[in-house]
Amino acid sequence: MNSGSIKQLKKPLAIRLGEQTVLAKSLVMAEHPFDRRDFLKVLGWGGAAVALSGCGNGSVEDGKETVVSYVETNDYMIPSISVYFNSTCTQCDAGCSITGRIREGRVLKLEGNPDSTINRGKTCGLGQAGVQHHYNPDRVREPLLRTGDSGEAITWEKAYALIAEKMKDVSGEEIAFLSGGVSGHLKVLLGNYLDSFRSKNHFVYEAIAPAVMRAANKKSYGVEMPRFNISKAKVVLSFGADFLGAWVSPVHFSQQYAQFRKGDEDGQRGVLVQIESKMTLTGANADRWLVVRPGTEGILALGIINALGAAGLRLSGDVAGAVKGYDKARVSKDTGVSAEQIDKIVALLKARTPSLVLAGSAAEGYAHGSQNAAAINLLNQVLGNVGKTVEAAEVVPFPQMAPTTGNTAALKKLNDGLAAGKYKVLFSYAANPVFTAPGAMKFKDNLAKAGFKVVFAHYLDETALQADLVLPLDSALEDWGTQVPEYLATCAQINIQQPLMEKLHANTDGKGTRGMGDILLTLLKQRRAEEYKGFADYYAYLRGALLKNKVALGGHKVDDDTFWNETLSKGIIKLEGHVSALSSRSGTAGLSLPSPAAIDAQYPLQLIPSVNASLRDGRHTNQPWLQESPDPLTTIVWDSWVEIHPRKAAELGIEEGDIVEVTGKNGSVKVQAYLFPGIHPDAISIPLGRGHEALGRYAKGYGVNPFQILDAVFDKETGELALHETRVKVSKTGSRVIVVKDEGPVGGRQMGKKIAARLPSDKVKLSEEI
Amino acid sequence: MSVTSLLENYSEFRHFHPVDDVPHNPYKWAMSIDLDACSGCNACSVACYAENNLPVVGREGFAHGQAMHWMRIERYWDEDGREFPDQGAQFLPMMCQQCEAAPCETVCPVGATNHTPDGINSQIYNRCIGSRYCSANCPYKVRYFNWYDYPTTDNVWPAEMNQQLNPDVTVRGKGVMEKCTFCIQRVTVAKNNAKNEGRLIHDGDVQTACQQACPTSAISFGNLVDPESKVYKQWKAQQVELDKDAQIKDKEEGGSELRGYRIFEELRPYPSVMYLERVRESAV
Amino acid sequence: MHRFLRLSVLLMGLFAAVGSYAADAPQSEPMTEDDLGPAIEQPIEFPHVRHAKDMQINCMYCHTYARRSAVAGIPPLQKCIGCHNWIDSVKDKPRIKTLFEYWEAKKAIPWKKVHDLPDFVRFNHERHIKRFYFQLNRPVQEVCGYCHGDVKEMTVARRQKLLSMGWCVACHQKDHPVTAEGGTPIGNQAYWYGMRKPLIDVSGIIKAKGPNDCSVCHK
Repeated sequence: MNSGSIKQLKKPLAIRLGEQTVLAKSLVMAEHPFDRRDFLKVLGWGGAAVALSGCGNGSVEDGKETVVSYVETNDYMIPSISVYFNSTCTQCDAGCSITGRIREGRVLKLEGNPDSTINRGKTCGLGQAGVQHHYNPDRVREPLLRTGDSGEAITWEKAYALIAEKMKDVSGEEIAFLSGGVSGHLKVLLGNYLDSFRSKNHFVYEAIAPAVMRAANKKSYGVEMPRFNISKAKVVLSFGADFLGAWVSPVHFSQQYAQFRKGDEDGQRGVLVQIESKMTLTGANADRWLVVRPGTEGILALGIINALGAAGLRLSGDVAGAVKGYDKARVSKDTGVSAEQIDKIVALLKARTPSLVLAGSAAEGYAHGSQNAAAINLLNQVLGNVGKTVEAAEVVPFPQMAPTTGNTAALKKLNDGLAAGKYKVLFSYAANPVFTAPGAMKFKDNLAKAGFKVVFAHYLDETALQADLVLPLDSALEDWGTQVPEYLATCAQINIQQPLMEKLHANTDGKGTRGMGDILLTLLKQRRAEEYKGFADYYAYLRGALLKNKVALGGHKVDDDTFWNETLSKGIIKLEGHVSALSSRSGTAGLSLPSPAAIDAQYPLQLIPSVNASLRDGRHTNQPWLQESPDPLTTIVWDSWVEIHPRKAAELGIEEGDIVEVTGKNGSVKVQAYLFPGIHPDAISIPLGRGHEALGRYAKGYGVNPFQILDAVFDKETGELALHETRVKVSKTGSRVIVVKDEGPVGGRQMGKKIAARLPSDKVKLSEEI
Repeated sequence: MSVTSLLENYSEFRHFHPVDDVPHNPYKWAMSIDLDACSGCNACSVACYAENNLPVVGREGFAHGQAMHWMRIERYWDEDGREFPDQGAQFLPMMCQQCEAAPCETVCPVGATNHTPDGINSQIYNRCIGSRYCSANCPYKVRYFNWYDYPTTDNVWPAEMNQQLNPDVTVRGKGVMEKCTFCIQRVTVAKNNAKNEGRLIHDGDVQTACQQACPTSAISFGNLVDPESKVYKQWKAQQVELDKDAQIKDKEEGGSELRGYRIFEELRPYPSVMYLERVRESAV
Repeated sequence: MHRFLRLSVLLMGLFAAVGSYAADAPQSEPMTEDDLGPAIEQPIEFPHVRHAKDMQINCMYCHTYARRSAVAGIPPLQKCIGCHNWIDSVKDKPRIKTLFEYWEAKKAIPWKKVHDLPDFVRFNHERHIKRFYFQLNRPVQEVCGYCHGDVKEMTVARRQKLLSMGWCVACHQKDHPVTAEGGTPIGNQAYWYGMRKPLIDVSGIIKAKGPNDCSVCHK
């Protein structure tokens, strides 16, 4: 791969192409596809006539197409030869480094950057679809100002003037800035902007963040996000952590998983045991998948510790005290996991070390989620995994750039403020709370009470539709930026984001899209003109900021331009990070787990909103590849479904394709039923991410949005939304559909053929394989 | 050649190779897929959409079985009648197996699908008349037909989205059959570069889109006649031979320690994709 | 009788369909080897004859991508200006004036494509130039002329060759020497050109045919 270097060019692809930015070939192809194949219209008469004309000469069309050549160009730009530029994927917050394939000025495909320690040249499906975010036909292209019920296109100058006017007399208390997780220089600018009003109202909201785990880890290990070394572990015991699907840094964990399976170091294959109430992608890959009654993960963890003690593992006094009473009989009764299974797990954990225990979102989504997570972390400590497979991660030595992590607790606080009518101006960036806030919060109604709402948006999503002013953003492939990922793999790194092509919606007539950094810089200039006048744009700011710290960033030997060009070329700055040692407090204080709740007669089922690896919280649903990419477990596309265990379905008389009504205390949704064996019979599951009423042509009107029927139950310690605490009932509506899915009518059976084959581990010798 | 000889040795003749008397010189592209590493995450499938200009057919189209996923993940459950799938699911990436004696090739009335000297089952779109015989005869069901003219269909490639189309791959029109090509456009570029340097393609010079994306590196692709290639070594270690319809190891004692197998080998299409069986821990 | 009628209707339909297809098909002018294709109006009437014949400029001086890329491309405008900026004698000529107008406006010249192949064809300039110009040391105008005709005699280029599949294949079926006179092919190099077994003719020259596989040219 020939990586293009960026020499003395401010914007690497600002190559003047004149009117058109492409060599017209494939565009013409799309507009006049195969017009010489029109003869197929008369097909149906047989192949003979057509076969004769299959290779005629009618296909050479002189002078029909235009060849647009460059006006000026760089030596490395050769028609039909790809150039590669490094950047960072922003489809999720894992911070994978990507390499864009660029031809004739257009980005065609994204690959992983092999130099990144996070993804090592790999990508997930979500990352691959990043180009569809960039080229999306539903992107907002000009600033929109609300006039009554419609939006009026205005210029950026007018938009900035409007913000300046609105911000003139407000105090810091009256401003609220809602955003998703931010890091790097964008976070610095955002902080400075709020600071210029002496405002502390930055609400960082992520709809499906591992917020409870962070808090529990902080208590157990002293850090929010330690490094989980899956590849070193011989046994991974995962309580609902979907680390191959959507949990924290899935591409990184997938590679670790592959090494773990091969047993790279000693040829001994690692064993994965997954304990959860609804099978995740990770659960589907487990050696043993154990279904557990929803919410009793913590009890099972304590039961395993108890059984480990009984099997001869030395437990410290307080731990022994904490797990006293969690004997196998009781644990088995509470969780539904048989005593025999617990014995097998204990034997496995004792025989193979080191192990690794992961607490995932499934265990944490309850009012006692923190307790569950603490109990699971305790298991790690008892097994002596802390320091072996749970390690201290390096920390980027620039705290001001460290990622701000979000949670629903922040949204709740904002929501309360909005309800009280506290905010005169509200900004929203990289969040769609009108779609993702639980219905019980009534966020949309409360939002209307804010004085002036500014939404920075790529699409007209549900939140943008409520805005007074919508400011269109550059796509991630057009914008500059720096990112510090929350989960750092083997070394501290700062990721560079740079444009892979010219802006698709150019800034002509004062319209078009702009980068978030540029917007914040302009807004800051309204406040602190003197301080920021030296920076023409965000690019200049970034370059200046990074060069100022050149020595700390490892560039002490080279001059500024070389350092800058090398940094852009690599797309990553690897750093010597601080390592803060993990604490080994056993963390049994205050550990008390409630007995499983009795079944509610009116709402007998537990609703598990599942997180799909591609759609996540629904911000990417307008990327058609993701809509058409089948859910790995059910193979359903383009729609929502509710997973019901076949036994429960038989009880309720439900069959596949029945439209059922799922009713909770806060509303109901009607959705097709899918019989799914990998779920606890007392639970049902609806995937998140679909059910948009806006966003774009590929998202609007497909499926249902389970966020809307969630109860507002929060974790007692952290205040985080308990995603799995909603109780519902299911009733048939009487109508039926054919489920649109990829699996065949026999539904995942091999019909006695050797298609997807399997061997028990004692029959193979992995160490002898290539 | 007598008729008797033809009948007796039909299986042999069926996969005679087009290169005069030197089969597979200098390339024979093949794959191996480790099902124990594959997590079923679908990254390969999306990467294939991105690389090969695959149209998105929408809900209606998908319901009618018109999905164009050259690379699809099949999901199987255990059939042991247990209430919960406590050994997880089985995932299988399925794409064109590039058979050496491809059932699709023999039935094409116009020779639009045929074997290249480097062992890829090529599909020549402008030759194809859309009889769909090949699809009917494919045991793997990996051939996909253009029922509509997707480039002119609403919301398949609307303005701007069409700028993402890969210029190295034809945008197929209505009435044409298509399928996985082992990313032949990437092979072509790699060949070109290798020729310029006066050498053959080295292992690793060319990656298929699915292989490049795969987060667990479950997919390997390479030249089966290059002893230095990973694919060659894997096939060798697993004792899977390209031109056998039943592997010797499967008849021997102890052969079951090897994980390599090919799907529907008994039908004698001699597929070029070897799968490595998934492993499940016996201790739990 | 009934069945006969049905069959004849079917047959008549078939002929009608074939006929109508033939009538609808875009009819290019009947061409022989040296006929010129249709004249195409270009934004600037570029005189190839002046550059390639009078000035003896190597084709690849301007069409520089041809030897390193599948597509030959049109030279960037800056290349034209690179010379013409210093040629005062023709600066007042209308064509050069137009050229500078484009340059000053930084606008690309919308050249019309003369040698347009169907979109499903993958033709690689680089391979042909490497083979015939660099390997066999044939003169550059001859090598380009195999497909582009006698461009040095033209002003604006016109298509002179058929560029049909049969025309391509006719050349690929010929035995071409593997190396220039006196050279020896390295290893199984011959295979890399044709993937077909090379042959040694009576005079001892090793020859090979061009590739004959569909997927080499059809993408």
